[in-house]
Amino acid sequence: MPMTSRERVLTTINHEEPDRVPIVIGVSNATGIKMKPYRGIKRSIGVDAPDDYIYDWPELGTALIDEATMRRLHSDVRGVLDLEPATVRKRNSQREPHSDYIDSWGSGQTEIGPDDWYPAVHPLPDATSVADLDAYEGWPDMSDPTRVAHVREAARRLAEENEYAILATPWLLFPFERAHAMQGMDVFLLNMIDHPDFARALLEKIAGYCKQLMGRFLDELGDNVDIIKIGDDLGTQKSLMISPRMYRSFLKPIHADFISFIKERTSAKVFFHSDGDVAPLIDDFIEIGVDILNPIQTNAGTMSDLPVLKKRFGDNIVFCGAIDTDQVLPLGSVEDVRQEVRRVMQILGPGGGCMIGAVHTVMNDVPPENILAMVDAVEEFGRYPLQ
Amino acid sequence: MSIKDELWDAIVFAERDKVDRIVQSAVDNAEDVAELLNETMIPALREVGDQFSAGEVFVPEMLASAKAMRHAIDIIGPMLSQSGHKPIAKVCIGSVKGDLHDIGKNLVAIMLKGSGFDVDDLGVNCSVEDYEAAVQRGAEVVCLSALLTTTRDAMRPVADQFSDRDEVKVVVGGAVITQEFADAIGADGFGIDAADAIRAVRECLGLAAVPA
Repeated sequence: MPMTSRERVLTTINHEEPDRVPIVIGVSNATGIKMKPYRGIKRSIGVDAPDDYIYDWPELGTALIDEATMRRLHSDVRGVLDLEPATVRKRNSQREPHSDYIDSWGSGQTEIGPDDWYPAVHPLPDATSVADLDAYEGWPDMSDPTRVAHVREAARRLAEENEYAILATPWLLFPFERAHAMQGMDVFLLNMIDHPDFARALLEKIAGYCKQLMGRFLDELGDNVDIIKIGDDLGTQKSLMISPRMYRSFLKPIHADFISFIKERTSAKVFFHSDGDVAPLIDDFIEIGVDILNPIQTNAGTMSDLPVLKKRFGDNIVFCGAIDTDQVLPLGSVEDVRQEVRRVMQILGPGGGCMIGAVHTVMNDVPPENILAMVDAVEEFGRYPLQ
Repeated sequence: MSIKDELWDAIVFAERDKVDRIVQSAVDNAEDVAELLNETMIPALREVGDQFSAGEVFVPEMLASAKAMRHAIDIIGPMLSQSGHKPIAKVCIGSVKGDLHDIGKNLVAIMLKGSGFDVDDLGVNCSVEDYEAAVQRGAEVVCLSALLTTTRDAMRPVADQFSDRDEVKVVVGGAVITQEFADAIGADGFGIDAADAIRAVRECLGLAAVPA
């Protein structure tokens, strides 16, 4: 008997085999599709839908995927997002064309080229003391009701349909990445060495705001949510960005506290996103309550060794993603994509605990036929028992 | 512990005040700063690069040592020029068009500078014309950096620009760059990380590898 998408996802995240491997695409920025490939997909499947952006945020560049396309992509999840305050959205929609986009934290993006924005605006590049943090007047107002006013109804509608798993993602409640946004990545990383007490204070301050908004977001979701997505990019192409010792000292307590905060308020599973090679930290993630790890960047260091990941961690964490956006999706043939999806599912799929998606946001260099090939390969080869 | 050993440690462990103090004292006492650079400072930073390559230190430690080195080079720079110390060669470096990432590029730039090259740092989002202008200013090696799959193709027109000039070498690097990609666009060299980039630059100039 075929399962609904929601049953399929809930079964696999409980480490049991569903009817087929679930597909996670189109529900947040990291699992999303940029506007150019989205337009390409719509054209190739004959869907006429508006070019809207997630978070109502064109500079992010990630498409809000229409329902007909989500169905064609066989996505087993649907997203619920928050929004920047109405005042911030209005200010940005009315600003001078090509000027910097500034978010509710005072950080922002600079235009590099048409439809191409880069997070280059950092409001606290020179801060090195707690007094500097106290003096900053741009901290976000997390109590603004327009951030979450739509959340209750969106989640209720999805829950009532009871067709898809609900994956909810408030924007960038990622303390480490937010610290990079506030200071610049290199500045903050240096401050972790030069001014460790300040670096901790900044992370803790950010985490406090993250919890404020997460609390309101969860209140609005109520029971109508299956997965909450958080994260922090901790890996590089070859290794970790910071040492395991530094992670355990600076960030793990913050992530642990954030996850406890979430789990005290919801029974939803915690989905943690981190790019790069984070294999040395997976035991830590499991210890602090991460249920689902994303994106399994298979071209980064030891994350390429899927059999070892499955064997060592597969009983305790769900793998989500794993289809390479560096070579296979942008440069591979349709057949290359098909075979890679098949390979990944054969390794990560047995016993459940595996959901397929692109490693990063599907970027503008990915041909639409390869995205369709990815999801169609899951339909073709992802039925349990896996062949 | 000798002063040289202290300086070596101070660079490896990124004790900037100590680095500044030792180097300033060498300048004040009119010591041979070229020798200090070549025999202590460069090997120390190379050690950090090797530790980074081996996964023993991470980005913050590498940034901190590079910053210490940059300070030290600024202090000894005027004295080096006065003493007639000649750079190995002039090179330029920049993140390619459409790419504003600069942490890796900056690390390579300071490693090159510390390794005795005259570095023309072009910054980020560089056009073909920016690299051409740097070559006109005397750069013999053009170093290109890109972090993204969507920006790496901007390396191709730069490589094409210099493909018929044997005297100009193109070296590429960045998270998504591979040897295969470097070969495909006709680059003269590829560095897998900051330490390896120095090897690639030396190699394409026909210079021997630096002994370990």
